[in-house]
Amino acid sequence: MQPNQTVLLAVLALPFLGAAVTPLVYRALGERTAYFAAAIAGGCLLLIASQASTHGSVTLPWIPSLGVSLSLYVDGLALLIGFLASGVGVLIFTYSGGYMHDEPGQMKYYATLQAFMGSMLGVAFAADLVALFLFWELTSVASFLLIGHYRSEESSKYAARKSMLITVAGGLFMLIGFLVLHGVAADAIGTATFRLVGSENSMLAHADEIQEALRSAGLLVPVLLLIGIGAAAKSAQVPLHIWLPNAMEAPTPVSAFLHSATMVKAGVYLVGRFRPLLLTDEWMILFATLGLVTMTVTAMLAIAASDIKELLAYSTASHLGLIVAGYGLSNVYGAETGAFHIVNHALFKAALFLVAGIVAHEAGTRAIDELGGLRHDLPVTAAVTVVAALGMAGVPPFNGFYSKELLFEATYEVALHDGGVWWLLPVVAVFGSVFTFLYSIRFLMLFFGEKPHELGEVHSPPAIMLAPPVVLGVLAGVVGLGGVTSTFGVHLTPLTDFVTRVVESSVAHGGGHEIHFGYHLPTKLKPAVVMSAITIGVGLVAYPFFDHLRDGVRTLRSVPLLSPNFYYDTGTEALDETEFVTTHLQTGLLRTYATALVLAVSAMTLGAYAAAGANLPAFTGVGLALPLVLVLLVAIVGAFAVTGAPSHVAGVLTLSILGFMVAIFYILASAPDLALTQLVVETLVLVLFLLVLDKLPAFYGEPSRLRSARDGLVSVVVGATVFTTVLLSTKATPNDVIAEFLAKRAGVPSEHGTYLLDWGGGGNIVNVILVDFRAFDTMGEISVVAMAALSVVTILAMRERGEVQ
Amino acid sequence: MSLSHVVIAPMLVALVTAIVTLLTRSRPTLQGGLSLLGVVGYAVAVAVLVGDVLSETVLTYQLSNWAAPFGITLVADALSAFMLVLAAVVSLAALAFSVIYVNSYGQRVSYHPLFHFMLVGVTGSFLTGDIFNLFVWFEVMLMPSYVFVVFYSGKAHTSAALKYTVLNLIGSAVMLVAIGGLYSTTGTLNMADMTRRLLAAEEYGIDPAPVLGLAALLFAVFALKAGIVPFQFWVPEAYSAAPAPITAVLAGVTKKVGVYAIIRLYFTVFAAATLPEGLGLPGLSGTSFLAFFGPVMFLMALGSIFLGGFGAVSRPDLDGVFAYSSIGQVGFIVLPLAVGATVPAVRSLAIVAALVYSLNHAIAKSLLFLVSGTVDDAVGAITFDDIGGLTGEMPVLSAGFFVGSLALIGIPPLTGFFGKLLVFQVASDATIAGGNGATLALAAALAGAILTIAYLSRAWKEGFWGETTGAVEGATATPGLVAVVVGLATLLVVVGVGFDPVYQVANAAADAALARTDYVRAVGLEVSS
Repeated sequence: MQPNQTVLLAVLALPFLGAAVTPLVYRALGERTAYFAAAIAGGCLLLIASQASTHGSVTLPWIPSLGVSLSLYVDGLALLIGFLASGVGVLIFTYSGGYMHDEPGQMKYYATLQAFMGSMLGVAFAADLVALFLFWELTSVASFLLIGHYRSEESSKYAARKSMLITVAGGLFMLIGFLVLHGVAADAIGTATFRLVGSENSMLAHADEIQEALRSAGLLVPVLLLIGIGAAAKSAQVPLHIWLPNAMEAPTPVSAFLHSATMVKAGVYLVGRFRPLLLTDEWMILFATLGLVTMTVTAMLAIAASDIKELLAYSTASHLGLIVAGYGLSNVYGAETGAFHIVNHALFKAALFLVAGIVAHEAGTRAIDELGGLRHDLPVTAAVTVVAALGMAGVPPFNGFYSKELLFEATYEVALHDGGVWWLLPVVAVFGSVFTFLYSIRFLMLFFGEKPHELGEVHSPPAIMLAPPVVLGVLAGVVGLGGVTSTFGVHLTPLTDFVTRVVESSVAHGGGHEIHFGYHLPTKLKPAVVMSAITIGVGLVAYPFFDHLRDGVRTLRSVPLLSPNFYYDTGTEALDETEFVTTHLQTGLLRTYATALVLAVSAMTLGAYAAAGANLPAFTGVGLALPLVLVLLVAIVGAFAVTGAPSHVAGVLTLSILGFMVAIFYILASAPDLALTQLVVETLVLVLFLLVLDKLPAFYGEPSRLRSARDGLVSVVVGATVFTTVLLSTKATPNDVIAEFLAKRAGVPSEHGTYLLDWGGGGNIVNVILVDFRAFDTMGEISVVAMAALSVVTILAMRERGEVQ
Repeated sequence: MSLSHVVIAPMLVALVTAIVTLLTRSRPTLQGGLSLLGVVGYAVAVAVLVGDVLSETVLTYQLSNWAAPFGITLVADALSAFMLVLAAVVSLAALAFSVIYVNSYGQRVSYHPLFHFMLVGVTGSFLTGDIFNLFVWFEVMLMPSYVFVVFYSGKAHTSAALKYTVLNLIGSAVMLVAIGGLYSTTGTLNMADMTRRLLAAEEYGIDPAPVLGLAALLFAVFALKAGIVPFQFWVPEAYSAAPAPITAVLAGVTKKVGVYAIIRLYFTVFAAATLPEGLGLPGLSGTSFLAFFGPVMFLMALGSIFLGGFGAVSRPDLDGVFAYSSIGQVGFIVLPLAVGATVPAVRSLAIVAALVYSLNHAIAKSLLFLVSGTVDDAVGAITFDDIGGLTGEMPVLSAGFFVGSLALIGIPPLTGFFGKLLVFQVASDATIAGGNGATLALAAALAGAILTIAYLSRAWKEGFWGETTGAVEGATATPGLVAVVVGLATLLVVVGVGFDPVYQVANAAADAALARTDYVRAVGLEVSS
């Protein structure tokens, strides 16, 4: 059944409309805006649910000229993310109603959070790569604003900028990946398309051709890397995971929603979405490695955490790594791992974040060492934590156990099939899982053992904050129980059928066999069971040494060169304090600027003459009359004398020798009008200079030899450029120059007729050009003169008054 | 060939307004009203002209009714139309802002006439089909800008204006030498005439080799106007010194005049020439003039992107960040042109990318400078040490800044996203086509984009977030100024969401820039085949 276009659009529009009216709603409802937002999320959830049985796409034109459409696609994976965004949204908004009580900036908070939800739904359903990118970036922007919620805190500002730099920059890598796919599609399927999925001309419908075209162009690995970087930045994969722990500066509901359940899932969603398009050996090497390394490294870092939200943040990165690794593995178990663990992780981790929020709220601290024995004060919360934390640890029969079994199975299959170094996969998977087990138990122990004396009275949270984690905990419990019951033949079919659909989204079409996802407790001794047993066994043995392990990881973490944060901090600090440009380039000295300008002009021009192979005319002797030669020689002497002038006045006077020689040159060259102009200008300029120089200090700097030599060299280069230009220009003899047309019609000699007089109203060719042929130029120049006068007025007038704005 | 009076209408409106506001200096209210009326009239004239151009392709106007190439020709095609719209939008916003922002004494003295004269120069530059006439409009555009940089007449303003003026006077001299040389080597000043002569160089007795050198000499002038490295030196100080709305026009419009001239002269006119023997320097190959300018622009673009980016990220005040950012952003405009010059397959897309990027930069950077002006007006400071916590005191203005920043970064669905998308697409398509250096261009664009995020996120976190400083505490932004900022921010959203028509016009402009025989014929000249 095809999805309904109106309903899908409403799903996307509703949260944005909600965000837009939030300022008004907030004015009316105040803090109860939380429930308005929860209702919006609930509406989205219902609308999505109404499309749950559909499959297919709807298309709305957006920018047809660019081939960009707002096409939306509904399938298992899209529905999963859609349900997460809206369903968890309902719970988060409800929870916020309690958590955000008396907090600042609530209007902005709810508006941004709703806009975020809309963007996340857009990511889920977009079938066009540009549309996908649109919503992708909007989630990053929303995340930036929410992390910076406490805007005066230095740590919030640091965290917000870090997340922005990493996720938005990662998005740009991804965008380039999309563009390369777009360009390659032109060769592979005949049209350059941005359509990823859901139409006959989509990339996924031609996966083999696209893969082939990418491979033959040598672009397969670059595209994998580009898209991989985008996904890794968003989903906090090593080494780009560093923004996520800092993102915990956001209010806890935001951490639970964006930085655990939904936004960080965008990256793994992308991996799952592209899997059928790009699944190759290179894919497996890249994503399986990335995922497993992230899973292990961040699980170790979670052990070293001192703050419960920090622990959960690293844990989130670790579980996202698990999902990426699952999608990275080429067998069907891999896809099942990815799909099922998205579900499980969202349930247990969102629950745990909300638990962390309750703990912080009621106990007043988030420091792990200061917390313990909370089960007496927070019994319900403790029960939720048991279900969720054991699910996170991968302990049967809790939900996370089943998806972890799938990962073990997938890695084992790959190793068995491909052998060699691939045996590292199951080993690393088990190794990383041991740490997962350890920190999960550590989190659980916040509720057990002795309550530290320093910990004051811990109240129970309001029902509004308790209900959402309970709902999530119950759901996680039900998923776990489903595994128990299906061991005895009673299957949780709505869930398994749904996960089957999610898996189908990430499996190459035409793969042959149908997918039947199911899960249950192990009934026979398979390798995966052994791996789980090792994980839990080693974990139990190691737990008593938790503090030693933690200190060990902390020691490793503190080695700067091993820490990506070190590189980030050093890099941004160096960047923020870059002084090179202002100290070496923009020096503020006109001398530097002018030198650079004329040298660049010369280099470019002489380079162009050389590149084009322009030939200078051969020197054939001086064909000028003696007086001309003498005048020009005097001019040259004058020019040289300027450089040695001892004072401003002497310099200007010497310069005027040059000017007057040019005037004489005009006379000798039969251009009396030019000569007159030149003489007037020269005289006026000389008088003006002398008047102004009188007001200036007589100091006339003593340049160093080095500087004189450098300036001399510069002037030689500039001279050479102009000299070459003049020689080459005057040598040219193009046909039909405009001047010929005019000269043939000039009033003198009389046989030319009266053309100019009749049509231009004058006999003097120069005059007619100035006031008729090119009158427009003259008008412009007159404006310039008028403005020059006006500028004098302005400078004089504003000198007195300008400083006061 | 159609004679169309509407072509000259925008120039006449601006010129008449300049004169009228000069004559009404004694009646400040009237003067301001007429000035605003004039800029609205300008926008209307541009709208009418653009409507005509888009329905009838190329319109020309032969001044004094002398046929080309003997008189001066104005040509309005889709490329000119695109740039005029950009100029109209920014000047409308800037002038509305000025009326409130600039002190009344300054407005009365010369602000309004100079503003409209500057608009005359800009418009003339976009419309003229004659390279000497282009020189004239450059001068008309520059003269008021000299005054505006020194307008407040303080120490910093005078120092900035001295450098700005000297560098641009050198530029004017270079331009004159280049134009003179071009006239004597090609025998004409009319761009269309020059195009057809270069197409059939042998027939007209033209040696293309010196023409390339002269074109390179002229290129420096446009690079200087556009503030491209290594001709960017004047930018930061001049932008800080000029009144905020003028800086908005300098960054938004007059910079784009340089960009326009590069597209018009190098892709329409000089690209008509071929060098029979090919380029003969190591690293250069090909027979087209563009094969020379491609690598040149490439180096300039890289220099601009990185100098601008690294400069902006460490500036201690808003204007400094935005000014260096302007250098970097022009690098992003030149980068696709460089790639398009080198790889003919993406040439049309490259021009589209440069135009769309220019449009976004014009709106977004004007917006940011106006934000800076508004902050200065309300708080009396724009250094990060003195401002902080602006989001609390001026939420709407801060939102405007945020939208402008996101547009520069290239977040969809804002206009800037499409600029960035197209720049990336030019480089990625060129990479797939196997173009030289295209991959490097892609990497540079990416690195530059990351720098953009770095400096704007820093400006946001230093100036708009953080503890509310004493100066900011209780300060309120003037509503009228904020309204202008909001208007521009809305425009960034609207143009992005409704991008299709904008793309079509940009595409038509790129086609017009490359359809050189149509251009020549529209001016009324024959193309010899």
